[in-house]
Amino acid sequence: MLKILLPTLMLVPTIWVTPAKWLWPTTLAHSFLIALTSFSWLKNFSETGWMSLNKYMATDALSTPLLVLTCWLLPLMILASQNHTSAEPINRQRMYITLLTSLQFFLILAFSATEIIMFYVMFEATLIPTLIIITRWGNQTERLNAGTYFLFYTLAGSLPLLVALLLLQNNTGTLSLLTIQFSDPILLSTYADKIWWAGCLIAFLVKMPLYGVHLWLPKAHVEAPIAGSMILAAVLLKLGGYGMLRMMTVLEPLTKELSYPFIILALWGIIMTGSICLRQTDLKSLIAYSSVSHMGLVAGGILIQTPWGFTGALILMIAHGLTSSALFCLANTNYERTHSRTMILARGMQMVLPLMTTWWFIASLANLALPPLPNLMGELMIITSLFNWSWWTIALTGTGTLITAGYSLYMFLMTQRGPIPLHITAIEPSHSREHLLIFLHLLPLLLLILKPELIWGWTF
Amino acid sequence: MTSKGGQGDQFPIPGSLYPSETVEMFTRLSRFRSAFPRLYSRQPVRFVSQSKPTGAAGSTAVTELHPAADKAGHGEVSQYVKNPDYHGFSSDPVVDEWNMRVGFFFGISVALVLGATFIHYLPDHGMRQWARREAECVIQQREKEGLPLIEENYYDPSKIVLPSARNE
Repeated sequence: MLKILLPTLMLVPTIWVTPAKWLWPTTLAHSFLIALTSFSWLKNFSETGWMSLNKYMATDALSTPLLVLTCWLLPLMILASQNHTSAEPINRQRMYITLLTSLQFFLILAFSATEIIMFYVMFEATLIPTLIIITRWGNQTERLNAGTYFLFYTLAGSLPLLVALLLLQNNTGTLSLLTIQFSDPILLSTYADKIWWAGCLIAFLVKMPLYGVHLWLPKAHVEAPIAGSMILAAVLLKLGGYGMLRMMTVLEPLTKELSYPFIILALWGIIMTGSICLRQTDLKSLIAYSSVSHMGLVAGGILIQTPWGFTGALILMIAHGLTSSALFCLANTNYERTHSRTMILARGMQMVLPLMTTWWFIASLANLALPPLPNLMGELMIITSLFNWSWWTIALTGTGTLITAGYSLYMFLMTQRGPIPLHITAIEPSHSREHLLIFLHLLPLLLLILKPELIWGWTF
Repeated sequence: MTSKGGQGDQFPIPGSLYPSETVEMFTRLSRFRSAFPRLYSRQPVRFVSQSKPTGAAGSTAVTELHPAADKAGHGEVSQYVKNPDYHGFSSDPVVDEWNMRVGFFFGISVALVLGATFIHYLPDHGMRQWARREAECVIQQREKEGLPLIEENYYDPSKIVLPSARNE
């Protein structure tokens, strides 16, 4: 554990001591080495359960893929933000990378915590760097509004969680994740217990986000700079799914009845947000709503509480993390050239940047879950386990899948095909940096086809 | 369709085709040109947000506090003019090239190649692959010997010691 945490911390002196000229290459190399070292977590000795690495931090099959994803995202964020921060003074650039590093630090602590309170504290701690990234580094004035939405939705959802966790601590005497699944079932019968149940889950459902409490997400995505959008879509949303997966074991007897409205809301949300995507004009907003739609499926898979549901949720979280982050990067390459997120203003990019079109094509296909990709595996497992619970869900999930295919292709057609608008006169060629960035998103996704058991979670 | 700048001039001017009331209507409509971007072929090159800051957030137009510096990539002079081998990393050609090398080396040669090799050679988790291979060997062997693939009894009945009924 510390072999990742300490290098992450030492990235901060690296950032501040490196000569200005070599700031970006050095931090990039350093963060890639951290990502490489993080693969060692995948070497799982224990047959079941935890690889306990020290008293406060441990990994298991559920948290490992998310931890590796977190470590993988930092070098990609550094690559992505290199161009748009290049005009800033050097110390602000350093500050920016420090901010991204602190986010990785908190996320590692959150995913590897062995105590729910520790997880909670780190869950909240990630809000601060994210808020600074959005409100300080966004491009437009609306970012302040977006920051307010982001902060208050998440905080309003998660303060009840603190109270609920303290109550749980009072009842069971421990909040250790290592032992909590072995503790005696809690007697949950009163009306207040049901509120406690909701308090335990709503924080994570807001973070996911569940349809109905998702309004902060499109705003935050649209206003955040590229690195903020990437980490938000790839890892921060997954904090919600991870927390739900962890809490599910404690909430056992009540979830069977109380989760119905939330499952229905999540599935309904897939259709609603998918339909919203179909009429989006704003590219980043479209990708953000597509995230909400996919996360609805993840929430459904977790709430259904079957091994297949859990595994499918984890697979979809990882696959969606890579895919949506790649899509945001692609959207940003357009944005840096046309200075607009409006899709109709940057059509026909295939004529200008044909190789970028290839990346768009692969990323769009991954988003709509093309067969061998992990995206499809995750969706299929969740849809199957939901179908096993109730036949009616196939109407919602099936329509959702159809709409997903629809808006993914719509996005591809709108940005890549057709004639070039007349106002686009001088588009810069795509940079090697951008190709590398997208490649480093999509190749891991393709490699996961060959070894899917890495992201199977508890079933493996 | 090749659409380059300059073709917009060839479109018919509304006034030459339509009666004067229509012309007047068109000129009125032209005030809303920003609302109908596709009706007009000539677009301003930059699309800057015109929306008002929301009062709720107490915006003090942060952009004024930090004036935007000249964007190296967005300015009038393309990086490719100064450096034809521009890779998108830095305006300094030497740093640009080295940053590209570092990115590709550590990203692909080190992280992806070494990382994928490491993951490929991870030990067989829970001996699941071994169990599968072993099962196939056992099936082949038993089929060759003409035995049923699996015994009816998981335990050998002769080895199970049951308490006698009389002791009750």
